[in-house]
Amino acid sequence: MGKYGKIARLHELIADKKISCTELTTQYLAAAEKENAALNAYVKTTPETALETAARVDAKIAAGEAIGLLEGIPMTLKDNISTKGIETNCCSKILEGYVPIYDATVWNLLKRQNAVLLGKANMDEFAMGSSCETSCYGGAKNPHDVSRVAGGSSGGVASAVSGNLAAYGLGSDTGGSIRQPASFCGIVGFKPTYGTVSRYGLIAYASSFDQIGPLTQSVEDASLVYDAISAQDPMDSTSSGRKELTLPSLGNSIRGKKIGVVKEYFEGVRPDVQKALQGAMDVFRSLGAEIVELSMPSVRYSLPVYYILACAEASSNLGRYDGIRYGYQTEHYADRNEMVCKTRSEGFGAEVKRRILLGTYVLSAGYYDAYYKKAQTLRGTIVKAFDDTFGKCDVILAPTVPMTAFPEHYAAKDPVETYLTDICTVPVNIAGLPGISVPCGFGDDGMPVGMQLLGPKFTEAALLNVAAQYEDAARDTAFRAVETGVAL
Amino acid sequence: MVTHEEILKIANLAKLSVAPEELDGLTKDMNEIIGFADTISAATADASDFDNINGLSNVFREDTVVPSFDREEILKNAESREDGYFLVRRRR
Repeated sequence: MGKYGKIARLHELIADKKISCTELTTQYLAAAEKENAALNAYVKTTPETALETAARVDAKIAAGEAIGLLEGIPMTLKDNISTKGIETNCCSKILEGYVPIYDATVWNLLKRQNAVLLGKANMDEFAMGSSCETSCYGGAKNPHDVSRVAGGSSGGVASAVSGNLAAYGLGSDTGGSIRQPASFCGIVGFKPTYGTVSRYGLIAYASSFDQIGPLTQSVEDASLVYDAISAQDPMDSTSSGRKELTLPSLGNSIRGKKIGVVKEYFEGVRPDVQKALQGAMDVFRSLGAEIVELSMPSVRYSLPVYYILACAEASSNLGRYDGIRYGYQTEHYADRNEMVCKTRSEGFGAEVKRRILLGTYVLSAGYYDAYYKKAQTLRGTIVKAFDDTFGKCDVILAPTVPMTAFPEHYAAKDPVETYLTDICTVPVNIAGLPGISVPCGFGDDGMPVGMQLLGPKFTEAALLNVAAQYEDAARDTAFRAVETGVAL
Repeated sequence: MVTHEEILKIANLAKLSVAPEELDGLTKDMNEIIGFADTISAATADASDFDNINGLSNVFREDTVVPSFDREEILKNAESREDGYFLVRRRR
């Protein structure tokens, strides 16, 4: 195991009986209790479930049984990942009081390994947003500076992991929702290849883009968690069944690897962020990798393509919320149609409504060809462009976000300006590729900067190794631990 | 330009009601967003790129009966229920 693995470190402490799992869990629960007023990372904590699992792990250890690496490790889940018996409402009023009767596959897999669930984490409503502030509970704050946002949409998970209120967490990434908050909070966020992790039990936003993945404090942790959640699932027909363990690949030399730098990704990127990325390129050169400059003009259309297609899928996916079978229902209505309309209008927040309207618009008669079909065709063009680019390099290096974390309430002024912050993250979702954000230094404002590394489909092992090699070489200057939460 | 009427028509299709005081702001937002979406009209697209974006193929399995959810469990999340059905009350 490497130097920076948080999960391995905690595992050792528990396995060597330096701390009991119950004591560790109690520390995390107390920290979450104490810090949540400032960070708003958790929308609910689950102490009973957590302590019950911890007691089970302690009993195993007392009986002299060996425990797995993830066993007894305190963690969190984004609130769009279904947890049986625990309210899961996507931070939306429309799912108020909804208690799933089944577990998401990812949670089922982790639960079987006795993962200790501390609570459900804050997020933008239905994962629609880049600041976590569209949450009906208000946004999660950035542990590096609580006057700034944690990012979104998996802002609560990023805030909890960065602020040491959970050892790791699972988020979902539709257009950057794992990588962007990871970048803002100075941690690792990994969005795997579409289809490698089951989406069963993930409350849908845009099904052809959505993917679950880990947010962690190191690449090794991301690799460990990914290996645990990546499995073929009969409950998700897009689950690929292609499975490759990534952990054994960490530690391979990257000498001679070609790292592609696509110039379009660097347009409009803030100078201090550019500088941090230049530093990362130097680190790769020192590791014997070669930096190759490339161009992908079609990537410029990624953002409108993403918003058209994701919103079209959302307008369909969110059609199910009618107040009849679960969640919020309006109080007063004259007929069934009014009941549905009022329920939806009162239950959804402004950003969700905007996206449903855009999606409905681009799918409606007269506009379908110009928007939806054109965007779908361009999606194919972007897929091909990535295929070509990966003929010339092994991995692409790009910024995760063109800036650092913005001040709270900044994002709400103009919807399009907010969308532009997703410019570097959406291409990966369009093409279904794996992408990881790794801390690579700090901006002039002292806030963390994230570097994105992207690979061809199903090359998570090689991609995570490239990220791990960088981390090993640059951790001291690229990463800064936050002093809140559990210091272990 | 998207008009107030178009917004109301789309909202109706999406089963969303728009309050009169929201209409101006929403129309302005939607115009900005649609203007932004319009940037793809300048792109040249090759029609053959349309197909099979995620490279997926059909996944088949045996059609076997497996245990499903208990009806009462499912109904627990509903606002109203009666005799094992979801109930939509006529008027409240």
